[in-house]
Amino acid sequence: MSTTLPVAQRDAATTSPEPGKTSKATRKGAGRIDPTYYWMIVPVLALFAFFITLPALVGVFFSLTNYAGYGDWKFVGLSNYVNIFKDPAVLQSYVFTFGFAVAATVAVNVVALSIALGLNARIKWRTGIRTVFFIPMVLSGLIVSFVFSYLFSNTLPALAERFGVTPLASSMLADEKWAWLAIVVVTVWQAAPGATIIYLAGLQSVPSEVYEAAGMDGAGTWRQFRSLTLPLIMGYLVINIILGFKGFLGTYEIIVGLTGGGPGMATQSVAMKIFSGFTGGDYAYQMANAVIYFVITLVISVIQLRLIQRRGVSL
Amino acid sequence: MNALLSRRSLFKVAGVAGAAAVLPLTGCGSRAGVGTDGVTTLRFMQNKPEVVAYFNQVIKDFEARNPDVRVVQDYNEGNFVPSLVRNDPPDVMTRGFAKETADFVHKGIFADLTGLPAASAIDPKAQELVNSWGRYGQDETSAVPFSLAAAGVIYNRDIFAAHNVAVPETWDEFVAACGTFKAAGIAPIYGTHKDSWTLRQGAFDYVTGGTLDVAGFFSRIYAKGAKISQDAPESFTNNFGPALPQILQLAAFAQPGAETKNYADGNAAFAKGQAAMYLQGPWALSPIIQANKDIKLGTFPLPATNNPADTKVRVNVDMVLSIARHTPRREAAERFLSYLLTPEVVNSYNQKHAAFSPLKAAPAVVDPQISGVAAHMAEGRYYQGAGTYFPPSVPMNNYIQSLVYSKDSGRFLADVDAEWRRVAERTAI
Repeated sequence: MSTTLPVAQRDAATTSPEPGKTSKATRKGAGRIDPTYYWMIVPVLALFAFFITLPALVGVFFSLTNYAGYGDWKFVGLSNYVNIFKDPAVLQSYVFTFGFAVAATVAVNVVALSIALGLNARIKWRTGIRTVFFIPMVLSGLIVSFVFSYLFSNTLPALAERFGVTPLASSMLADEKWAWLAIVVVTVWQAAPGATIIYLAGLQSVPSEVYEAAGMDGAGTWRQFRSLTLPLIMGYLVINIILGFKGFLGTYEIIVGLTGGGPGMATQSVAMKIFSGFTGGDYAYQMANAVIYFVITLVISVIQLRLIQRRGVSL
Repeated sequence: MNALLSRRSLFKVAGVAGAAAVLPLTGCGSRAGVGTDGVTTLRFMQNKPEVVAYFNQVIKDFEARNPDVRVVQDYNEGNFVPSLVRNDPPDVMTRGFAKETADFVHKGIFADLTGLPAASAIDPKAQELVNSWGRYGQDETSAVPFSLAAAGVIYNRDIFAAHNVAVPETWDEFVAACGTFKAAGIAPIYGTHKDSWTLRQGAFDYVTGGTLDVAGFFSRIYAKGAKISQDAPESFTNNFGPALPQILQLAAFAQPGAETKNYADGNAAFAKGQAAMYLQGPWALSPIIQANKDIKLGTFPLPATNNPADTKVRVNVDMVLSIARHTPRREAAERFLSYLLTPEVVNSYNQKHAAFSPLKAAPAVVDPQISGVAAHMAEGRYYQGAGTYFPPSVPMNNYIQSLVYSKDSGRFLADVDAEWRRVAERTAI
């Protein structure tokens, strides 16, 4: 309402006196919160509640039944939850997902920080090179993983055979022990640019004077990185680790494109297991799985938020 | 003015959408779905996106003879379960028939087609493939077969002729043929192990179907419910165990590096003559021909034992026809379904798509690509693949892939028995 005020005031002479009243009321209530903010929040809140919160609650409800997604159902109490803990396939997916998330977080941050340091230095064609490094970010994960699936299945074995590297001659994707590594590699390729941007921002916030001073005191490059750069960008590191870890816990599309959860059951992530409930007539059971996973991620998020607050960073 | 116009048209759109949403709710009377011009509109869901053109022609012919009915084809089968959730399923539908569709039958989704005159033309053996999964209300006919696919070993006739290999009729002959090709430097079988479903439909289903009574096994294990254990006589361990070495032997005849190839790679490579045999169904024929129109293909059923009389072919009930149980357009739906069952429609469809007609009076199959399994089909020497009996919550494809890669039969049997019991416990299958 108040956004239309200037126009209304201009036309006040010809139109009804109401706009004038409104403007007075607004001026009087200067200490009150502008209703515009509510107009910005309420529709989003309503949409969120209707499309996210409500379905989630429906899902929680059905996790207590034996509903297949359609047809008849009855209450089964907590037996779905009990069965989840007795299901080695589900437990294996948890072990895989957490192992993968840790490995991917470490790898992404090491790679992204190295790239950011390189891109922040005074190198030739810096802008052009930066652009190249950010291309993976705009590509869809599914497409990236289909391309890499081809590379891992055909190109890499062919090259390995040519140069006599026998361990790589059969596809990594077909090896139950090493398929996860291929997934980490592709994840790093796709996720590193996002983390690099955050690190670049951090590096640019470090004033150059501190390096000049350190240089005068005779600190070498490594010493400068360890004692100056790293502490000064610690907030950015924490943000990257937290956002990355949370994202990798929900990993789905890259695995679907690369291995489809195989070979065997080696690379089934929790998200894939949950989704299988929609196609498998296992809706209620996987809903229970989803509720458990939600609680676990919630706990992890709370712990991480605490850590952030201690560091004095706010998200 | 412009804004006003667009707003007005927006209202119009909203009004139409609202009316469309309300229509199915109010339309429960007998005249529902009948437009003001007296034309009934049927929704027809069809499960094969690659044959849309064929059915468009069929619909056109049908509409010409039945001016009071309009048929809308929907080939996105993914809409089916959501339509059930909305309680608004399509009026007439085609589906592949296996465990999943059988579950829909048990939930009473489909209308009873018993006594429909057009259904009497169907071969009872073909109807039994559907009925054996259990019928709604003991004796209802919820679906009638429209197209049967016979899957066996697709072979390259030129390669067979060049090496003087005849179509094997026993397992020993088959192994010997593989040996001949191997010695000549040709991959006996093109393996696409990266796509785990190809291992399930090929090596796993062919060997188990050829050596065991698959239907009997599953009816016994389903009857046992959650009371199953690994040492029970109904368990996988005690029934499938002996077949596993043969499955592994068969998978090992694939070219080196089969783990890195998927189904599309396999079709392309087989078209180029990179292997003598290919464990795929007739659905692979047209992609292979597309890649190489000069290739001469044939199909034979895998002989899994040394008695040629045991040899059976894996049959897929590729398409069945059903009507939604509560459709208010039942009469028009039955008319359309009966038209689909006329010999011209059924037989020409199956001839065109390298499949087998389920009609009693089906013409002899002369297509050289599939004529090698025609006798088995005609005599009813077929089985439905063991893989099709599993509830979808048992990730059978992954277990089979794991078995082929690790060659660990013990773990496979223990895993499948345990998974089966867990699923049975929680879903009371």
